[in-house]
Amino acid sequence: MKKNIIHSVTQALSPFCDQDIVRWTYDVNDNAFAWIAPGSPDTLRTIAPALAGLQARLLTITAYRRDKFGRADGREIAYHFDIDGVVATVTVLLDDEFPRVPSIAHWFKNAGWNEREFAELYGIEIIDHPDPRRLFVDKDLDADILDRLIPLSTLMNGASTTTLWEKVFAGKQMPEWAKGELN
Amino acid sequence: MSTTPSTYTLPVGPMHVALEEPMYFNIQVEGETVRSVDLAAGHVHRGMEALAMNRNYFQNVTLTERVCSLCSNSHPATYCMAVENLSGLFVPERARYLRVIADEVKRVASHLFNVGIMAHLVGFDSLFMHVMEVREIMQDAKEGVYGNRMNLGQCVIGGCRTDIDADTAAFLRGQLEQLKPQLDEIHGVYERDPLIRARTQGIGLLSQEEAIRHGVVGPVARASGVVYDIRAKAPYAVYPDLDFEVQSDTRGDVHSRALLRLREAAESVRIIEQCLDMIPDGPIAVSGMVTVPPGESVARTEAPRGEVVYYLRSDGSDTPQRLKWRVPTYMNWEALQVMMSGCQVADIPLIVNSIDPCISCTER
Repeated sequence: MKKNIIHSVTQALSPFCDQDIVRWTYDVNDNAFAWIAPGSPDTLRTIAPALAGLQARLLTITAYRRDKFGRADGREIAYHFDIDGVVATVTVLLDDEFPRVPSIAHWFKNAGWNEREFAELYGIEIIDHPDPRRLFVDKDLDADILDRLIPLSTLMNGASTTTLWEKVFAGKQMPEWAKGELN
Repeated sequence: MSTTPSTYTLPVGPMHVALEEPMYFNIQVEGETVRSVDLAAGHVHRGMEALAMNRNYFQNVTLTERVCSLCSNSHPATYCMAVENLSGLFVPERARYLRVIADEVKRVASHLFNVGIMAHLVGFDSLFMHVMEVREIMQDAKEGVYGNRMNLGQCVIGGCRTDIDADTAAFLRGQLEQLKPQLDEIHGVYERDPLIRARTQGIGLLSQEEAIRHGVVGPVARASGVVYDIRAKAPYAVYPDLDFEVQSDTRGDVHSRALLRLREAAESVRIIEQCLDMIPDGPIAVSGMVTVPPGESVARTEAPRGEVVYYLRSDGSDTPQRLKWRVPTYMNWEALQVMMSGCQVADIPLIVNSIDPCISCTER
């Protein structure tokens, strides 16, 4: 059975990928994993419909930095699919200066949340997303903000503004302590 | 706040009596009928995946156990499998049985919790209390075997922490014997009680087509005719050696999801008994420290709420370059828009509960 699936996956992807860039691994229970070597984001426009044609199910999407501490540019995205028990992972390399990737939500509805999440956490632009709102992070915060290195000294220097109290006491007499003059 | 002359917005959450965790539902209502639902998440986003990249492989076993309370064994188990897949580590056979026992004990307790809450939402509080009392049998089993009632701390990379000796196995069997007739009885009540049926049958409908389109997982998918269970489809640990039946239904409503969970709990009892019968002697973990080479791996398990996926990427250091996990609830949220369309306002909590939502899981 799994041999049939492996054959189907290989056939479906053959127009877009050379055989040598699809790598197969197996776990101790002989479950198969296909790894499709990194390509450009545009390859998703052809691979996604091919996988949809195989009745693949999107498992999840993982965005990551090539250097996890962000000391060097470079982001990649791994798309993980299930095809009747076989896991296929398609990786794309993003442009360093303008990281963007086409949405696959047209073929996989459940890509919507995944794409919104990595867009806000990694500052990646999604092209043609059906609902490009923030998922978890407030819209007033910069994209990628949680991936930035903020030195503890900056966090702990005690600096603050009176913006919060101005909102809390809007239209009322603001107490002296809230005006920030004691800081 | 009115939106059109005939509809108005009903905000539910993020803090609401029907929600155990914070989620905001922006619901458009016409009279008592729900017309559309929008969700706003992010109230308990903890940045756990970023934490995982700053902890070493062993520390992450402890961290991943804290992603979710009800699925707490599934997360470290799947994480350990991802590390073991990448390292080529072979887990001793006894440990693979022990992992299945821990997973199934947690499944029984999790499913009973969910169907118990359903009884409460229906207004059948004596049944709710009865189910929670029966669930205590498994809670006591967890405490007796592992020393904890929620986080078992059972999984380590390359095996398990706690062995089950003859006395402990006898204790666990005793708990299962107590549980079996109670599970049968509870299933009968949920199946036949007029109040339960009136409130849960035919509501929160999700067709097989919509279940596939949304990619839902776990009992939500199986109750809509998507017969997919990782334990059978891509088996791990010792599931290939065990005799169990993947439960499914085609009705796709709140009632069928509850009954399916109860059948799965009974099936879990059978699985635990088989494991106790078949478990071989031997070590419960590999000895020594594991080295994780550069590379990537994926591991999947069937948690109580459905499929859990872990993706691990290593740069060869002692901390992951990236650790991503996808929890079952993440896949099931958007299907609520289908399930709740056209439902009555009073049914909203029941439908939300029927996907067994975990928000701390979803947001991590």
